[in-house]
Amino acid sequence: MRTAERLLKILSGLERLGAFLAFLVLIGVVFLDVASREVTGTGLHWAMQVGVYANLVVVLLGIGITSAAGAHLRPRFADGWLPRAWDGVLGRLQEGVTGLFFAAFAIVGALVVAETRELGERAPVLGNLVWPLQALIPAVSAAGAVRHLIYSAWPALRPRQPAASPANPEASGPS
Amino acid sequence: MTVTALLLIGLVLALLALRQPVVVILGAATAFCYALISHGNVGWIVVDAWEAANRELLLSIPLYILAGNLMSRGAMAERLIRVSKALAAPVPAGLAIAAVISCALFAAVSGSGTVTLLAIGPVMYPALVQAGYPRAFAVGLLCAGGTLGIIIPPSIPLILYGVMTQTSVTELFLAGIGPGLLLIILLAGYSIARHWRLRGAGWDVAEIGAAIRSGAWSLFMPVLILGGIYSGYFTATESAGVAVVYAVLVETLVHRRLGIRDLHAVVIETVQLLGALFPVLMLALSLNVFLTYEQVPESLVAGLASAIDGPGTFLLFTNVLLLLVGCLVDIGSAILILAPLLKPLAVAQGIDPVHLGILMTVNLELGYLTPPMGLNLIVATIAFREDFWTICRAVLPFIALLLAGLIVVTYVPQLSLFLLARPG
Repeated sequence: MRTAERLLKILSGLERLGAFLAFLVLIGVVFLDVASREVTGTGLHWAMQVGVYANLVVVLLGIGITSAAGAHLRPRFADGWLPRAWDGVLGRLQEGVTGLFFAAFAIVGALVVAETRELGERAPVLGNLVWPLQALIPAVSAAGAVRHLIYSAWPALRPRQPAASPANPEASGPS
Repeated sequence: MTVTALLLIGLVLALLALRQPVVVILGAATAFCYALISHGNVGWIVVDAWEAANRELLLSIPLYILAGNLMSRGAMAERLIRVSKALAAPVPAGLAIAAVISCALFAAVSGSGTVTLLAIGPVMYPALVQAGYPRAFAVGLLCAGGTLGIIIPPSIPLILYGVMTQTSVTELFLAGIGPGLLLIILLAGYSIARHWRLRGAGWDVAEIGAAIRSGAWSLFMPVLILGGIYSGYFTATESAGVAVVYAVLVETLVHRRLGIRDLHAVVIETVQLLGALFPVLMLALSLNVFLTYEQVPESLVAGLASAIDGPGTFLLFTNVLLLLVGCLVDIGSAILILAPLLKPLAVAQGIDPVHLGILMTVNLELGYLTPPMGLNLIVATIAFREDFWTICRAVLPFIALLLAGLIVVTYVPQLSLFLLARPG
């Protein structure tokens, strides 16, 4: 369990660092585009596409950060459909099913990325190869699978399942 | 086809019973549709999801959420409240009106209902109680005032609606102004009717001046965001980017309320929200591609054509459906899933898609106040340390007010469309 805990900690640290840096890039390019338009009269033609990629990195890494906080959007009206006495087993099953979903998504994602790589697909504005960035999809999905399967195996490592709270106001929705 | 449909419903119900997040339910349902209904390649989900997130317009969402979180953590919200209090002091129910105006001003920056409640509520609640307002009234007012965050532009649900239905976000923002003002008037009018006698002394010119001086940077924020968009100077995304940089500069250099560690914490908090929202958005758009390819919206329009015999019936059907859905799921998921299905039905009945977007948002706004899933109710239990059912009772009159507002928004489309230079 300690190894699993350490693995989760490293994973979370990497996700938080990556997401933070990508968010800085996102803010930077959007602002630079506006500033450049004001100063030189023309915007930066590449800025928005870089911003879109930065946003993709933010949200894909954000999936893991949200999982680590137990804050994915979840309809709770069905929580009482199965007996409360089963909560222990259900908790493991819940994480196991989520883990398997992410594992399946990782496999499908890897196949798609392999195809994109084979086709040599390039982005329209920047002209870069698409697959290296697209590879984040199977990567974060695989990380999600590992994380949730660990939660299923060692429920003590699961994040507390919160309702919304002031510290985590949007546990049920960010709007 | 019937067996397949039953299997799909069974899959969704099983996943709900297993307490799966929306992203898993939506992903599994989309995969099911691709694999069994269209006998296609499940890999299209990944391709569609990638394309869905690869859009410039979506950049405004993380930036608006971050700007709202920065203001909430920093001093800008407090200073907006001070200005509202100073200006509303001598008016009947002045402090209650100040609370509503503070919510509205904050909403004009944050785009989020819960962030608005959290930014304004903890400051205004003790002040209202101290000034003699009943606790139940104060809680209900602040919970309802918080919901203004999602209708007063910029609004995250309106951006999501725009993305899902390919409707102009700028037009949606313009259309949100009328209904937003109506709800402000309803909340302020109710406060005056209930607490006519509660008022402060006359205007204190010195305090008004001091409040405006200290709050000038905060007051400029809505002007920057909305003025920039409506004048055509900024796109929604550019305006959001400028708002973030402005908020960071003001909170770190002028108000000196946030340091590097705080900024890091606010960014990670924002990423956590995005990690919840965006996967659902990406999969919902993927499902939408499938539905469009299979001509489901067209079939729905044809199928319901006999049951829905005019715009009145459609609007009634839509409102009842959304009120039920709003009690059970969050507004983001509801808009992502239902907007593409309702839009063709609305257009077939001659209803403007912009009006539908406003109607959906105002309707689902009520979901913030209705148990068991009302997000502002849950947040209020912790923010105001009151019992959940006490809060549920406290918001009842405000639910009635918002329902009245919803009826006006539904049946008076001009209220939403008057700024768009096209009649409802």
